[in-house]
Order: sequence, then structure tokens, then C-alpha cells
Amino acid sequence: MEKILKRLFLILAALSIPLGFFVEHEHAVFFWHRIPSIEAIFGFFGTFVLILATAILTSFAQKKEHFYD
Amino acid sequence: MINPFPPAFLFILGAVLIPILKGKLKQLYLLMIPAIAFLDIIKLSPGMSWSYRFSGYDLVFCNVDRLSLIIGYIFVIIGFLAILYSIHVKEDGQHIAAFLYIGSSLGVVFSGDFFSLFVFWEIMAVASLFLILYQRKKESLGAGLRYILMHIIGGCSLLAGIIIYTISKGSIAIGIIEPNAAYWFLLLGIGLNTAFIPIHTWLPDAYPEGTITGSVFLSVFTTKTGVYVLARCFPGVEFVAYMGGIMALYGVVFALLQNDARRLLSYHIVSQVGYMVAAVGVGTALSINGAVAHVFNHILYKALLFMSIGSVMYMTGKRKLTEMGGLARFMPVTTIVCIIAALSISGAPGFNGFISKGMILASVAEAHRPILEIMLTLASVGTFLSFIKLGYFAFFAKNYDMKSKESPVNMQLAMMLTAFACVLIGLFPKILFYILPYQDIPYHPYTPGHIVGVIQLFMLAGASFILAKAMVVPHNATILDFDYFYRMGGKVLIWVIMVPLSALRKKLQLFSSVTVSIISRLAKNPISTIEIPIAYIYQRITKGSRYVGGYSSSDTFNENLYRKPVGVGIFLAIILLFVFALVHLIFK
Repeated sequence: MEKILKRLFLILAALSIPLGFFVEHEHAVFFWHRIPSIEAIFGFFGTFVLILATAILTSFAQKKEHFYD
Repeated sequence: MINPFPPAFLFILGAVLIPILKGKLKQLYLLMIPAIAFLDIIKLSPGMSWSYRFSGYDLVFCNVDRLSLIIGYIFVIIGFLAILYSIHVKEDGQHIAAFLYIGSSLGVVFSGDFFSLFVFWEIMAVASLFLILYQRKKESLGAGLRYILMHIIGGCSLLAGIIIYTISKGSIAIGIIEPNAAYWFLLLGIGLNTAFIPIHTWLPDAYPEGTITGSVFLSVFTTKTGVYVLARCFPGVEFVAYMGGIMALYGVVFALLQNDARRLLSYHIVSQVGYMVAAVGVGTALSINGAVAHVFNHILYKALLFMSIGSVMYMTGKRKLTEMGGLARFMPVTTIVCIIAALSISGAPGFNGFISKGMILASVAEAHRPILEIMLTLASVGTFLSFIKLGYFAFFAKNYDMKSKESPVNMQLAMMLTAFACVLIGLFPKILFYILPYQDIPYHPYTPGHIVGVIQLFMLAGASFILAKAMVVPHNATILDFDYFYRMGGKVLIWVIMVPLSALRKKLQLFSSVTVSIISRLAKNPISTIEIPIAYIYQRITKGSRYVGGYSSSDTFNENLYRKPVGVGIFLAIILLFVFALVHLIFK
């Protein structure tokens, strides 16, 4: 069941990408506002940027649970 | 026709009756006060003001304008809902602390001058402290101490700023601060309550250690009053804008790593307050509207998140994500409201966060701040990821050992009402737009581009979360924050006091007792002056024990032998004050 749901979600995510070509960013200010589906690109790569940031943080700031006790 | 009354005093004076009332009557009373306060605020209209002349200054206890009114509304609404959530609590002290906390926060919001703001600000810090201490655990006591220490530092900085401001300007009225000596003191004092990085550490340290119901109150007032005062004093400051961006990202990265559910939520307060601070820093009419709308919405969904996780803690006793899971079957109401709150904080279309977050992002773009826009959008991705994590591990992850019942009716009712408010504002944003400080600022949240953009952002972030889930699985660990340096600094300070300073004190004490004993001996018997050189010579010859002026180590000065009870001093002081007052009155 969980596998089916996961696949369904991934398919829906893939299907959401072409949606961006049918709509326009209102009041585009910066150049990236004019790129179709920029939010999809941002969502995908943003996640990896954040996960990378957490990995860097844990490499030096992660201590055992009762570190201060 | 009853005239409106400053709402802060309704709560502060209302707290007095709580211990006297019992049972159902008390519960009714607890709910009645915020209801009356709400009616009271509805009757307030911009331009109204209550002031009192004191020492040549006008203390303005209640100054009404559109900005203070909207914050007043939401404080009273959430006050009612949070009190409903905590109405089963038997301990009067917790209710009194909550009332004082709500009252003083309203006091800050409606203050028209810095002196009354400062007084309410300090009451707020002390009242909120008790919502942490009433948890009565070792961790809570420690966190409470660190919390109040930091707030005392912030309060002192604020007071220093206020004094410099008053002297330099000759007025105590709250207004936009010009860059001068008072500027940085005020910014530090207000910034501490607003959880500026790196002085935010009190927040994720103390909020998870509060009582279950107390943390709901804590999540609402302190940081939002900070944002409010920031909007009054520092709108359009570049430093504030980028501090907001840093807070939004910093909070979200730390939240992703947390295992304690309430600590995760606390880091999200830092992150969400970052959005508001960034908008205040941008300072345009749309961004101030966005900041205030976000304060309003954030209070609703963040209190709802604390309520739902509190409800899980109340029923299961678990606070870590690794210990939770599988609760959706047992706690359907809590699960649904938590999902509503998670969608609201993420900014999903149809929920209140979508409205205000969109306003802030639009205002940042309009003000041409590209880096800030990227920071806030990235934080928005992180927020969504954190709440997939929270929702999944708390309610849906497999955990066959978990069994629980749904929380008490009052808790459920409070959660349902708060969730209803989140959806209502999400679907009918005009309700919120109607009370925003700046009118006639057009903003249309539901445009196709905006809706599709948010859906794409979430779908793709969700997809990459599925692919990289293993990286964010919660586990038991402490993630060091800036408080590491403060704690180490504290340890060094205690060592300096205990070792070198204490040694110096002992030496000084010995020196003074030796001197005193010599002088007293000489005063009693001046002839003994001759004995001293004799004793000295004797000591040099025999190299025996030390003998100077009758002094030996056993009769060092022991202050406890001479100390009178403190009460005697106070009694004398009161008598003297009384005499002084009498003389003053007679010979005036």
C-alpha cells in the first residue's frame, strides 16, 4: 500500500511540472519569474540544498542526547 | 452604554479572582474574561487613548490604531482558545500566569509610550517564566533559569535604550527610532524577544520544557509582541530585513534535525517569525500588511500545532518523534487538526498561511530584494519538509506498541475551533484584509500562477523528500546551537567567581581581620604596642607559629556572629520612612 502511494505521489509530482507552462507569473520582477515551472526546480533542488545544510551541521554540531547533563 | 476599558487590565485584574472561584464557576469565569475583552476591543476605535500624567511625562496605557487593534483581536481570540484548551488544569497558578501573560502582552500592544511598554514587557517575561516552571521537572527549572536570564539581559538593554532615547529626544512616545546611541540598545532588547539569531536560544531551549498547556500560550505572545514593536520602531531597516531571512532559514535547518516534537515546532517559530521580521525590514505598505497578516495567521496555526502535539503528549506521555507513530487510528481529531495546521504553516492553497506568506513574498519581490526572496522561498521548502516529517512520524509511521485515546473534549473543541479559523481565513481572506493596518493595498492571493507555483514547490519537494527520506529520519541526539557558547561562557564565569575571585576575597578578609584585631588591641591597650616588635622578633627567632598582635587563625572575623536578622533592618527602614513621610506631610 505504502509503495503504491509513494509511486502515485511521484507520478503526480512529475505531472505537476508541465502545469507551469500554462500559467504566467503575475508581476514578474526578477528574470527567474519568467522561467516556466521555476518553482518545481526550486522545490526539487531546494530540498537537496537543505539536506546538504543539515548534513554539514550534524557533522560538527551533533552530540549525544544528554550532552549538557 | 459602557465605555471601553484598556483590555490589558481586564486580564491583569481578572487574574485576582481566579483563586477565589471553584469548579464550573471558575471555568466559566476563565472563558468569560477573554470574551468580555473581545467585546471591549470591538468597541475600541482608532484614535482612542488613555493616558496618565506622571513626573512630567504622559504614560499612555492604551493607544488605539489599526495596527494595535488587529494584534489585539488575535491576542484575545487565541487567549480564549488557549484558555479553553487548558480549562481542565486544576492548578490556579497556571491560569494566573496565563492571564498575566495575556494581559501584559495586550499592555505592550496598546502602550503608547516606552515606559508603560517596558513595565508590561517585564511582566510578560516573569509571567511566561511560570508557564515553564510549573512543569516541575529538572530540565524545566534549568531552561526556565536560562530563559529569564536572557530576558533580563534583553530587558536591561531595552531600558538602557529607552533612557537614552528619552534623554536625547525629551519624549517617551513610541515612534520610529532614528539611528543614534539608543538605536542598538533598543534593537537588541526587542530583537531578543523576537528571537534574532544568535540571541534566539532561549526559545528552542525553554518552549519545549513548558507545561503542555503553557507552551500553547508561550508560542503566541512573546515573539509576536516583539514583531509588533519592531514594526512600530524599525520599519524599513535593511539589517532587520536580512536578519529575517537568516532567521527563516536558520530555524528551518535546525527544525529538520529535531527529534523532540515541541523543539521542532519551536525552531519553526524562529523560522516563521523570520518571515515577519523580513517583511518589517522591507517596510513597504504591502510588506507591513503581510507581516501583520502573518502574525495573525501564524498565531492560529502555531498554537494549533502546539495544541495537537500537546494533546499527543497529554494522552501518551511521549514527546519524541522516535517514540510516536501510528496515532492516526487512535486520535483522528488530533491528526486532522495537525494536518490542517501543517498545511497552513507550509502555505498550502486554501489555508491561512498561503495568504500571508504570499503577501510577504510578493512585497519582497516588489521591493527588489532578490536574495531575500530566495532565502524565504527556500525556507518555505524546508517548512513543508519538516511538517511532512512531523506528520508522518507522529501519526502515520508504523508503531504497533502505541495505544491511546482521543484527548479531553475541551482540548478537542479548542483545536477544532482554531483549525476552523485557519481554513476560514484561507478560504475567505477578505475577513483578514478588512482589519489590516493599511487599506487600499491591492493583493490577490488566488491567481493561477501563484497556486500552480505553490503546488509545484510542494510536489517536487515532497518527491525529493521520498527519495532522500533516510537523511531526515529522526534520532536521539542534541544539535548544538549558539547556546553552547553561552553555557560555556557561564561555566567560565562561575569558575572565575569560585576560584580566583573567592581566593582574593579570602585574602582580603584575612587582611582586614588582622588589621582590625591589631587596631582593636592597640585601642584597648596602647602599651601593648611594645609587644608587637617583641612578638615579631620572637617569631623570627623561633620560626614558630604566627603571633601578631594577639591574632591567631582561629579568631578570624566571623560575620555571622555579628549579623542581625534582615527583618530588623527592614523594620528600621519602614519606621524611618514613616517618620520621613510624617515630617514631609506636616512641614510641606
